Amino acid sequence: MELTLLLFLPLATGLLGGILGNRLVKPVAVLGGLGTLGVAVGLALNYDTALGGSQFTVDKLWVKPLGIHWALTIDGLNLALVVLTAFVYASVVVACALREQESPRLFYFHLGLGASAVLGAFLAQDLILFVLFFDLMLVPFYFLVGQWGTGDRVAATTKMVIYTLAGSLLMLAAAVATGALAASHHGRHLDFLISNLERLPLGKGTQQWIFLCFAAAFLVKMPAVPLHGWLKDAYKSMPLPVLALFSGVLSKVAAYGFLKLALPLFPDAAASFQDLLLAIGVISILYGSALAFTTNDARLVVGYSSIAQLGFILLGIFSLTSDGAQGALLQMVNHGVVTVALVMIVGVLASRAKGSEDLGSMGGIAMGAPVLAVVFLIAAFANLAMPASANFIGEFLILKGVFDSVTVVAVIACLGVAMAAVYMLRAYIRAMHGPDTNGVEQRDLSIREALPILPAIALILALALSPQPLLKRSEGPATAAVIPAAKAANIDPIQTATTAQAKR
Amino acid sequence: MSLTTYSWLVLAFPLAGSIILGLGHKVLKGKTAGAIGTSAILLSFLSGLGALRSLQSRPEESRQVVSSLWTYAHTGGLDVQFSILVDPLSLLMVLVVAGVSTLIHLYSVAYMASDEGYVRFFAYLNFFVFSMLMLVLAGNLILLAVGWGLVGAASYLLISFWYRRNTATKAGIKAFVINVVGDVGIVLGAIVIIQGTGAVDLLTVFAKAPQVWHTNDPQIVVGCLLLMVGAFAKSAQVPFHTWLPDAMEGPTPVSALIHAATMVTAGVYLIARMHPIFQIATTASDVGAIGGAVTLLVAATIGLVVTDLKRVIAYSTMSQIGYMIMAVSAGVYGAGLFHLMTHAFFKALLFMAAGSVIGAMAGEQNLDRMGGFRKVMPITYGCFIVGGLALSGIPPFSGFFSKDDILLGLGAQGGWYWALYVAGYVGALMTAIYTFRMIFRAFHGEPCEEAKSLADGRLFHAAEHRNPGDGTLEDTGVGYPGAKHHIAERSPSMSISMGVLAILATIGGVIQLPKVTNTLDHFLDPTFSDSPKFGIGIDYNLMAIGMVIGAVFGLLGIYIAWVIWVKKPGTSARIQARFALPYKLFSNKWYFDEIIAFLIVRPFAAAGRFFQRTVERVVVDGAITAGPVSIARASSAAVRSWQSGMLRAYAAAVIVGAALVVLYLMLQA
Repeated sequence: MELTLLLFLPLATGLLGGILGNRLVKPVAVLGGLGTLGVAVGLALNYDTALGGSQFTVDKLWVKPLGIHWALTIDGLNLALVVLTAFVYASVVVACALREQESPRLFYFHLGLGASAVLGAFLAQDLILFVLFFDLMLVPFYFLVGQWGTGDRVAATTKMVIYTLAGSLLMLAAAVATGALAASHHGRHLDFLISNLERLPLGKGTQQWIFLCFAAAFLVKMPAVPLHGWLKDAYKSMPLPVLALFSGVLSKVAAYGFLKLALPLFPDAAASFQDLLLAIGVISILYGSALAFTTNDARLVVGYSSIAQLGFILLGIFSLTSDGAQGALLQMVNHGVVTVALVMIVGVLASRAKGSEDLGSMGGIAMGAPVLAVVFLIAAFANLAMPASANFIGEFLILKGVFDSVTVVAVIACLGVAMAAVYMLRAYIRAMHGPDTNGVEQRDLSIREALPILPAIALILALALSPQPLLKRSEGPATAAVIPAAKAANIDPIQTATTAQAKR
Repeated sequence: MSLTTYSWLVLAFPLAGSIILGLGHKVLKGKTAGAIGTSAILLSFLSGLGALRSLQSRPEESRQVVSSLWTYAHTGGLDVQFSILVDPLSLLMVLVVAGVSTLIHLYSVAYMASDEGYVRFFAYLNFFVFSMLMLVLAGNLILLAVGWGLVGAASYLLISFWYRRNTATKAGIKAFVINVVGDVGIVLGAIVIIQGTGAVDLLTVFAKAPQVWHTNDPQIVVGCLLLMVGAFAKSAQVPFHTWLPDAMEGPTPVSALIHAATMVTAGVYLIARMHPIFQIATTASDVGAIGGAVTLLVAATIGLVVTDLKRVIAYSTMSQIGYMIMAVSAGVYGAGLFHLMTHAFFKALLFMAAGSVIGAMAGEQNLDRMGGFRKVMPITYGCFIVGGLALSGIPPFSGFFSKDDILLGLGAQGGWYWALYVAGYVGALMTAIYTFRMIFRAFHGEPCEEAKSLADGRLFHAAEHRNPGDGTLEDTGVGYPGAKHHIAERSPSMSISMGVLAILATIGGVIQLPKVTNTLDHFLDPTFSDSPKFGIGIDYNLMAIGMVIGAVFGLLGIYIAWVIWVKKPGTSARIQARFALPYKLFSNKWYFDEIIAFLIVRPFAAAGRFFQRTVERVVVDGAITAGPVSIARASSAAVRSWQSGMLRAYAAAVIVGAALVVLYLMLQA
């Protein structure tokens, strides 16, 4: 019940605002955002960590003949991501409320729909339900880009539609096939509940093509190289707060999909494609980083950096180790929070540089803006996984997992760690430091600007002090998610002293 | 209070200071920030003394204490506590770091007084001290990496402190990136160690190491070499050293504190801290010792020719750390740490005194333009002489005892260590030459314009200040040298801290006088008594010979410098002409910057541009994206009658289409 409330709250408040009219739409949306966050935090606090497992579960047979369940739950795998989504949504709604939009009623409706869809995808425990929410996620963003976007929004929407639709259709077919084949193979009724499907493994050959279909959809959404062709135009034309929601949480649904679905349902295929996925991860890291340190567009630095960071997350998952998966989950949360801060900061920087997001038109902003300088520095350091940030722990766990399973990949990935330092500091210095040659406006953060940024910064600092609350809840389910695939790949998912010594 | 309470307080004060200064940056006026910053570090130092008393009251075998505050990260394969390890080694480092930092904070109170970023400076400086103390107190590999990374960040912030200078921001990013490469070394090294022992906690790792690895086990050799990358990057050893000379872009107190006395010695600390595993990985230790020896020689040759006052001292720092790295890698821990301590005293002193000269020169750092400051700045001159004698290893100054202690420890081991022994003495001769070259050129000879102006009782100001690095006009309204800048010896807080360091640089050696006191070695016993090289047979004949050679080489070096730069001016030009090739090599700093640019920086930049301009357009936008997009466009043209031109209808059609596909597939199933 609580979960249904959580799931529909953003959408419902978006609708309600639309009905109540232009004057009330903002307050209602903000209340909806904060309410969603409140419910999510309440659920997290009430989640019994000692007990673990699935809690607050809703499970009703929804479409009986097809065996589709309306099944939602919270477990250690999605708990942090659900809270992250609510947090990002609340920040974004607050940020939007502090600026003006055209046709606000429709705008907030789409925003709420987007948040509900993401929450649905994280909460869904039925394969078809997941696919529906996954596809639904994109609908509001087509409109948000198409109607409120800037620049070449037609190209942006076209590319986004084609890329993601291709991925989605493959995934849909794959999902249907999974249920149908599992049912026929084991002589049972059609049933799409994920936990049931886990118990009905498919043949190795079947797993492979189904896995590839899912992987394609997820890799497009993350995005991973070379399936990132839609990213540049989409990022460029999205309104900034919308981009914060998009980049902060949508990409995580894809990474989560690997852990939630692809590894447990198709363990043999995951094992046999491990090298391919690791290669895609490494290429994304190196290629994304290289793009990030050659672009002059502040927004694209964040975008390309996301490609690299998602590459790390992919590595963690496909290390097929417990530490790697936990690192990946932690890094999803870290990246979401940091991205919100960075995207909003790009907006502030542009407002100081006569609206331009070109790093070349900035420079020397720090002088009159010490608070902005510190805030930006904290976000930048977190993004480059500075030791002491939670991002460092996430990256450390990922590297450790990959090192334990495929050592050479971890060594190459380390190049990405150094490259992140280059692109983040380069962007920071170009915007904030140096002589003020472009006549930027040297004004510090206003309260209006700070409101959506400071909570993210506070969260970054809190996670830095103790990432343990997240790790504690994810240990069991993250390990469980990788075990079948690790077995198939003949990898020891949990490296401990005894196993290390036994190996020797 | 208990030992652990004291130790946590050591960390708490600088952190609190940094936070208070950061939050209060708008309210704190005048020198309040300096007072807050300095007292925070002083309190930290006093807590360190409290911890020392408490530690010494324990029996020797229980002088390694671990204290944990909370569980930091616990996963399937990792158990990280927020823990510190207090033992003689970490406490020695705490006292050196906090002690020298207190003096440098005190110096900065006046030195930075005219700077617009006064509060920011102390906030950063306190943050640095916190990070450095975190590094030395860390109880496990992860917190060690955290401290390691944070000092790199603090160093970056302070190198780029005058961020309006393009030279400062460039130096900052260079230092930061090289340090991140070092961090990667530490992280991978830690992963290898965790893989082997299954532990992150330092004491557990040390206890398990001998059971897991045999001597020169490839796994631990690789692990130690990775740690060594971290140590070399942070301690500016060849070939990871190129950031240190550039780091001199930071304010002079920063050079004294971070880039001479404390942070750059972190690599020495790391090897000493991890000695139980470095002793198993003897190959890695040998690499470290040779790397240290190479660095000490290379840096000394550059020190002989470089003309920037601060860079002479910077290359000297590199060279001296080479001695320390060589010592701890070869298992001569007590001596290496002894030199770390005395070096902190005399090198911080030299930098502070250099700050005084740079103040008198209104920001100019070129030795070619200096001269004749001896009479007008007697205290600064005295500090340079004391620091210079200690650096050159002239008895009875502190550096004499510590350097000879290192070389004795190497010589006594025999074998190929003799090569290191010889390299050490060759380096010592060069050290004396470059040190007194610097002193003679700045203080002797014909007084320069600035010195004359000071003799008339006024501080020199250039008509317009230009950045010596790239010739751009300085923003003097923002930073030093502002209109109100001082010279160190005329301001009490600066002269007091210089005086204290001068005394320490002179008598610091008494802590470890051969055959008389061995307080330091004895104090460190609980940390190093498990070392197989513990108490290697001391050869008293060799010791006597070494001390004589050391003293003679030091004096000889000073004499050579005196002949070349005072007695017969012009000799230096003749030598340059005669040895043109080595001169070119040294003055171009052995071309390390160029080699690194050629091998690493340019290929990466070129790859980035190639990806951005070519691959993105041709492959990603062209082949991968444009194909499907044009197919879609073509098919949408076919159904143009449907398309009302409205995006909404288009998207709705897409969704309906998708739904139909779903339905079809389901019915098929």
